[in-house]
Amino acid sequence: MKLAIAEAIATERDMASISIPIPLRDRARTGLLGWLATVDHKKIGVMYMMVAFSFFVIAGVLALLIRLQLAAPNMQVVDPQTYNQIFTMHGTVMIFLFTIPMLVGGFGNYLLPLMIGARDVAFPRLNAFSFWITLGAGLVMFGGFLFGARSDAAWTAYIPYSSKTFSPTIGMDIWLLGLILLGIGSTLGAVNFLVTLYSMRAPGMTAWRIPMFGWAMGTTAGMVLLATPVLTAALIMLVADRNFNTQFFTTNRVQLWQHMFWFYSHPAVYIMILPAMGIISEVIPVFARKPLFGLRAVVISTILIGLLGFTTWVHHMFVSGVDPTIERFFMFTTMVIAVPTGVKMFNWLATLWGGSLNLKTPLLMCLGFLATFVIGGISGVMQGSIPVDQYVHNSYWVVAHFHYVLFGGSVFGIFAGLYFWVPKITGRMFDEKLGKLHFWTMMIGFNVTFFPMHFLGLLGMPRRIATYDAGRGWEAGNLIATIGAFLLAFSVLIFIINCIKLRNGERAGNDPWEGNTLEWSTTSPPPEYNFREIPVVESDRPLFDARMRTPSA
Amino acid sequence: MMDKSNLAMHMAGSQRWSDSRPDSRVGQPQPAKPTRVKNIGLLGVAFFIVSESMFFVGLFLAWFYLRATSDAWPPAGVAPPPLLPAVINTGIALLSTVAVLFADRAIARDNRSGLIAGIATAGALGVIFMAVQSAEFTALSALAQGSAYGSTFTFLLLFHVLRVFVGVVLMGVVLVRALLGHFSSRRRLLVQGTAMYWCFITGVWLVVFAVLYLLS
Repeated sequence: MKLAIAEAIATERDMASISIPIPLRDRARTGLLGWLATVDHKKIGVMYMMVAFSFFVIAGVLALLIRLQLAAPNMQVVDPQTYNQIFTMHGTVMIFLFTIPMLVGGFGNYLLPLMIGARDVAFPRLNAFSFWITLGAGLVMFGGFLFGARSDAAWTAYIPYSSKTFSPTIGMDIWLLGLILLGIGSTLGAVNFLVTLYSMRAPGMTAWRIPMFGWAMGTTAGMVLLATPVLTAALIMLVADRNFNTQFFTTNRVQLWQHMFWFYSHPAVYIMILPAMGIISEVIPVFARKPLFGLRAVVISTILIGLLGFTTWVHHMFVSGVDPTIERFFMFTTMVIAVPTGVKMFNWLATLWGGSLNLKTPLLMCLGFLATFVIGGISGVMQGSIPVDQYVHNSYWVVAHFHYVLFGGSVFGIFAGLYFWVPKITGRMFDEKLGKLHFWTMMIGFNVTFFPMHFLGLLGMPRRIATYDAGRGWEAGNLIATIGAFLLAFSVLIFIINCIKLRNGERAGNDPWEGNTLEWSTTSPPPEYNFREIPVVESDRPLFDARMRTPSA
Repeated sequence: MMDKSNLAMHMAGSQRWSDSRPDSRVGQPQPAKPTRVKNIGLLGVAFFIVSESMFFVGLFLAWFYLRATSDAWPPAGVAPPPLLPAVINTGIALLSTVAVLFADRAIARDNRSGLIAGIATAGALGVIFMAVQSAEFTALSALAQGSAYGSTFTFLLLFHVLRVFVGVVLMGVVLVRALLGHFSSRRRLLVQGTAMYWCFITGVWLVVFAVLYLLS
């Protein structure tokens, strides 16, 4: 019915739309109060991005300290105690205060309502609450860190390191409190996204017309909703163990913490990668000038990854003494998850194949994603095998693996998204030359940093050691990694300069890339109400339809 | 290639056509949000309840894990919990659920006195539930510190009764607003949400009762 109507009017207009009164809001608020008191999903999204990026820079500086300490044998840049605190904070901040808030809070908030043709999320005030509680949690964690209340039990907080006996200071409690708050913020955010995606879509946007990023965010929100409360329960139990003498995680039952922690934290890996996959699924078709190859296969694979993500957590515990039968089951599920991931990989390649590639920075970042993520994915399948895992467990091999997944995957995806959508957010284009320089320094710096870690791991270098003696064959690899880390930091500096130069950038216009999704139909930056009239969607590429119908331009 | 000018401006410039759509609500103002479901708020409550359930799944996971790795459950020297208060509370929980559902059905038919009576009854039963629980809690603090059994037992009761407290507060808000005449058959989201949440709390209690009292 809608299609027929749409065709009937197609001769007269660019894009079908319906008039819905613009909800009245206090639009007079500008300046600082306009940001602090906002419930606009776009402003909240931008605040998430700014906060997350600040934490990325801070955690990056911590990473440089780690690399300095390990650059040569027996270095004493920081003492071992401080070293433990630094890598704990590096991991925690990168995961909980950068990657998740950037992808889910930042990109999710900014793009989801725009992409589905809505004027805001379902619960705008709840959205603001999620942001402020996330920021508050970050400040609690960092406040504790700056004022000496530091946790040093790694981001996994394994028992007994995190018990009162081995972490007697209040730093551990502050860390736990911060994570509990973050969990509340992201759970409520997930409720908001799921309701938005289910009930706020523009007319005509059937399930198969939801953009791939929307599917990725929906799956991610579902995983957050199911996984985070279990971690929250574990965190509260640990707080009680430390402060009220309860007996949950006693030393003869260390596995309980590992089960509950990884029940959340393995899905968290997919919470960090699925939105990035969603981003590159949007960027690649635009820059290859082709529709996404096998949209339905990519959607189904995304959901399968989300579901299977809940069945693999024990593969983190192959040396913890779990029953071998259970271990074998989890080895199988871990390897199975490579199948939907492989489907997506081939679909992206098939999208690129035969496309007329527009090699601008966003596409370069996507190519960086594909090249590095596949290495991380394959080393993950290798580690999924119990005998291999028992050999490389807790070694630098693991560090190399998850940085290939989370930096090579998530961070390249984040930068692809930033180069793609910041023109929409700010109305200004990035400097393309600096962008390309950023990509190449990051790509080289990343691989120089993390590729040698595979060898270090195979040579037996354990994770989380503050220093090492000479003569073990680890010197060259560590020195190369440290040099690479500084190149990587330099590449981020180039990005920051590019952001500063945005002020004088070329004007973006509504649709600088000839995009496919609805956000490109409105102004850059979009008005508070997003769309003057709610568009009616007729395919999975509404803007492409609109362009095809406009003969003049 | 597409014109760089604002596509939305094109849309605004052309005449409205929604009124001529056969499947649109002809002549009626469209809602500010294009709704696909009758009630966005209730869908939010439903998803929130899913996350709340997962919190209890986490606690039960700990219960069953610790039980499976213990020699005796409850451990030697710890008496099993008294059954009578829990049975009484199960009755109270079920009665209050009936009352809150009655209140919701009443306001759906614009019966305001029915809403007030139902929600007041359910709230009062919720307070009695908490009173019965608190009697048990005086014995629990020592139990919580003694063993893994005591810790998980206490946590499950504690976090359930926290939800009961939230539910009672919600019912208090509903009651005050009902007395002020805020609700009608067309405007009863808070009543529906409270009823849904209360049903969830009762459901959790039934599982807690079965696992902690009957199966131990």
